[in-house]
Amino acid sequence: MFTLVIGGAASGKSGYAEGLVLASPHRPRYYIATMEPLDGEARRRVEKHRGMRADKRFETVECYTNLASVHLSGRGTVLLECIGNLSANELYSPKGAGNRADAAAAIVDGVEALLSQCGDLVVVSNEVFTGGADYAGGTEDYLRLVAEVNRTLAARADRVCEVVCGLPRFYRGAAG
Amino acid sequence: MIFITGPLYSGKREYACSLLGCSSEELERHAVWDVQELAAGCADLDALAEELAQHEVVIATEVGGGVVPVDPDERAAREAAGRLGCLLAQRAERVVRVFCSLPVVLK
Repeated sequence: MFTLVIGGAASGKSGYAEGLVLASPHRPRYYIATMEPLDGEARRRVEKHRGMRADKRFETVECYTNLASVHLSGRGTVLLECIGNLSANELYSPKGAGNRADAAAAIVDGVEALLSQCGDLVVVSNEVFTGGADYAGGTEDYLRLVAEVNRTLAARADRVCEVVCGLPRFYRGAAG
Repeated sequence: MIFITGPLYSGKREYACSLLGCSSEELERHAVWDVQELAAGCADLDALAEELAQHEVVIATEVGGGVVPVDPDERAAREAAGRLGCLLAQRAERVVRVFCSLPVVLK
């Protein structure tokens, strides 16, 4: 089962996605962390999310770019968080794909590679598309990339939901 | 008239094509899109909505989700875009919101 969980900032999407993983019978549980802890704020966010996963027996796999390179030791349940970070890494990190087309391919191929290695997959992505397009510089490129990946994954997923205040609204499939 | 709305780059035009059974090149014969941009500075939004409603399909991008813009013109434009969306939805036989290429019928 492949579930795509989309939500705005602090919408409760991480917590909801974790719940889906905990409900899956497939072990081990893998958490694919995508945020490179480059500064204090990032390190604090990483710590916060690590805390949320404490005692839930997640094995953390760090992957900032080239998702297809991830090899999992067992056929378990994977939580990939999140497409927004991976997109930024692929576009702007020195090790990333660099352009939008290659970045989209790297992320989508990476998700396909995960699907071939796991029992259940939960992917978290970001809703950042209702605030207009009047951003400075390369942000439009970034928005287009996240949108393209979201649409491609939504077409591939068994279930698609948007989380609002911690509550899922299903666009495809159903809870439970 | 069918009114299609949804976030940026969510697949609204693609959905309109599938609804109308036309190619993306043929879409402009049946539909008008990015109408939220027409709202900025428009003196008569009712008249604009009435005129747009003559099309088979009208498409607008939702732009009211972020923080209220500091710039007064951007603020007014966003306000007008939202208002226009409401006026179009009132005139539409059907309203569909497209989210990640997945349509949800609102009316």
